[in-house]
Amino acid sequence: MKRRTFLTGSATTVLAASALPRRAGAQAKTRLVFALSSYPPSIRPWQNTGTAAATVKLAIYRGLLGYDPKGEVRGELAESWKRENDRTWIFTLKSGIRFQDGEPVNAEAVKYSFDQMLGDKSTAYLKGQYAALVDKLEPVNARTVRFVLKEPSATFGYLLASVHSPIISPKSSEANAVGAGPYRLGDVERGTRLDLEAFDGFHRKSRPKTKSLRFIAYADENLRVAALRAGDVDIIEYVPWQSMESIEKNPKLALDAVDGPFMYLVFNTQQGPFTNAKLRQAVAYAIRRDDIVKAAFFGRGSVLGGLPIPKGSPFYDPELANYWKTDPARVKSLLAEAGMPNGFKAALLSTAQYGMHKDTAEVVQQSLAAVGVQVELQLPDWATRVALGNKGQYDFAVMGTVGDFNDPDSLTGFVGSGQTASYNRSFGYGNAKVDDLLAKGRAELDPAKRKQIYRQAERLALDDAAMVGLAWRSQGYAMQKSVKGFKNMPGFLTFYSGLTLEDAEAV
Amino acid sequence: MWVVATLLFLILRIVPGDPAELLLSGGGVAPSPAAVAELRERLGLTRPVLAQYAEFLGRVLRGDLGVSLLDQHAVGEEVARRLPRTLELILAAAILAVAIGLPLGVLAAVRRGRAADRLLSTVASFNLSMPVFVTGTLLVLVFAQTLRWVPAGGFVAWTQDPAGHLVYLLMPAITIAIGLSTVIFRMTRAAVLETLERDWVRTARAKGLAPGPVLRRHVVRNAMGPVLTVLALHMGTLLGGTVLVEYVFNWPGLSGYLVRAVEQRDYPEVQGIVLVICAIFVLLNLAVDLLYAVLDPRVRH
Repeated sequence: MKRRTFLTGSATTVLAASALPRRAGAQAKTRLVFALSSYPPSIRPWQNTGTAAATVKLAIYRGLLGYDPKGEVRGELAESWKRENDRTWIFTLKSGIRFQDGEPVNAEAVKYSFDQMLGDKSTAYLKGQYAALVDKLEPVNARTVRFVLKEPSATFGYLLASVHSPIISPKSSEANAVGAGPYRLGDVERGTRLDLEAFDGFHRKSRPKTKSLRFIAYADENLRVAALRAGDVDIIEYVPWQSMESIEKNPKLALDAVDGPFMYLVFNTQQGPFTNAKLRQAVAYAIRRDDIVKAAFFGRGSVLGGLPIPKGSPFYDPELANYWKTDPARVKSLLAEAGMPNGFKAALLSTAQYGMHKDTAEVVQQSLAAVGVQVELQLPDWATRVALGNKGQYDFAVMGTVGDFNDPDSLTGFVGSGQTASYNRSFGYGNAKVDDLLAKGRAELDPAKRKQIYRQAERLALDDAAMVGLAWRSQGYAMQKSVKGFKNMPGFLTFYSGLTLEDAEAV
Repeated sequence: MWVVATLLFLILRIVPGDPAELLLSGGGVAPSPAAVAELRERLGLTRPVLAQYAEFLGRVLRGDLGVSLLDQHAVGEEVARRLPRTLELILAAAILAVAIGLPLGVLAAVRRGRAADRLLSTVASFNLSMPVFVTGTLLVLVFAQTLRWVPAGGFVAWTQDPAGHLVYLLMPAITIAIGLSTVIFRMTRAAVLETLERDWVRTARAKGLAPGPVLRRHVVRNAMGPVLTVLALHMGTLLGGTVLVEYVFNWPGLSGYLVRAVEQRDYPEVQGIVLVICAIFVLLNLAVDLLYAVLDPRVRH
């Protein structure tokens, strides 16, 4: 018995003593600690390796254009830009700015970066889009670059503002890129944390506000929240939906959430039951979207009954956004028209690795069971699910993602054809009319005309049920109340919130 | 080891999922097929499987575990960095577990059937049925979130901050030790009970030895054999099985690394880690056999 008392006694002493050094460290405000949801697989500048990587990349690299905290495009390395004619864009770089290795940010550096991105061996995410669009890139003088496009483009600015097209120092390579962002990469503990130090030559004066940034990967969402509550970290990303309410109620913490990413269904339109558009329609009218928001996202989100155009967008149309409402009578008649009045069987692909994908799939299964459609769930791990999706080995599947930018051209990635098969769009779907309209919309520079064009494209894609929207999900960051300046950016730009880390400080 | 290596290589390539595709499709985006093809080429995934296998075996024989498909980081280096952390965690947990489980086990055996034994056995079966993620989460809730005595999880290196290092080590080690000490407690209790019935114990008592020395020299020492075997087996399993604890406490050890490698289908990493774990398992069993000899002179002959 004595030994046992001794053990508990000594354990308490160790615990109490250990609390001291940490308290002292937590007072320092020269460093912000940001909890990532996963360790970035790579922070190569032009590859898309996920949202956690994007946040880190935005702190280190910057491109010609960027976004302000409200989500409007603004100059980053470029001071100003104008369109000479439909196809020619002129960019003037800020004067006297440098990369983190001291090299000047000039027209040659812009050319170098684009040459690398478009190179033969490049794995740049935007390579295909730039290759299709950019005809010539000409340095005019040290501070001026001219882009000549193959066709007019309403979205070229968004591409340049993308996290995946930063400009890097011509003295560096893709593998060890040196950027012109507010922070430079410091000490790295692979798989665990990345330390960043302020770059004193950043082009925006008096930024960044905080001297150093530490990114720590907390893969477990509950631990991420626990670390925030315990004061170990200042900001966390991917706040789990079930914790949002308790964070809002905590007087020491603040939650910043926006409806950005969305969940939807994709179909195999090459084989299986969903080659018939009527059956895709039937699914679209059968689903109880409220239940998805409630079950998968704890009410943190909203229904998506159409194609994903964010609510704040000038292209948002409330009628088209709520095109599909739960309507059992409609489902019955659609099933009858398709010659399957008694329902049918189908397999739904999702993944057990992420709760939101699995929960969404379960609600879809129940909704369809109510109208006589028997759904069998396939829930492999994420890697397998991606592979099956890309090969089209499924009947229909649950997906969740964001658009590339807050412009309806983002729809091209989901309902356009002529692209290769991908797990994030319906397998084998294509409608020449939709494609024409999307191309027209991209090349049209008048906003009013673009609106009309995209309305038509939306209607066609909705009739085809090319993809079936389910729900917007709330994407949240949470932070200590003392953190000022960090902001969750609106709509699809939520994963660009890392841009505002340059304004963040703990006071 | 060769069998393990070959099986590993084959299973990994049979499992669906393409590392190149995965690397380029983070965050639910569609990678361009040209980029995926380019990356596959660069990673050497387009070569015939047999050629890949030959190269893999050749490398392993030279002691080279290859480089990660994700960022060309040397696998051997990463294993060397993370293995000590997992070993440290397991060792700390084992020491705690023995320090708690062994004396209590002896106590329970000596007081068999009495209140102390019944209480301890009840607590033990309760502990045994608690999964580590529950214990771990509870510890985080109480000590990190409510009392704020310790951080919720993480890691600092010995060289940076020795005191901080121990603080971070404490909670995951305790979490593992709770389960492990129960195993040791039950094994010790059973082994001591059995030894107490032996003739030599009766003889020792009969010739008037004090109860203390009898227990120490004749009972506990003889009962250590099975306890040690069970401990070693469990420690071996823990090498790849601390995943949940490492996950709950954000401890950057080997198991967490293994899970991440599997998720990303990073073939060289998975192969390297599993091979090292197998090798250590074999060494651990050897060490136990040698320890037997130290404890029990009869084994030496």
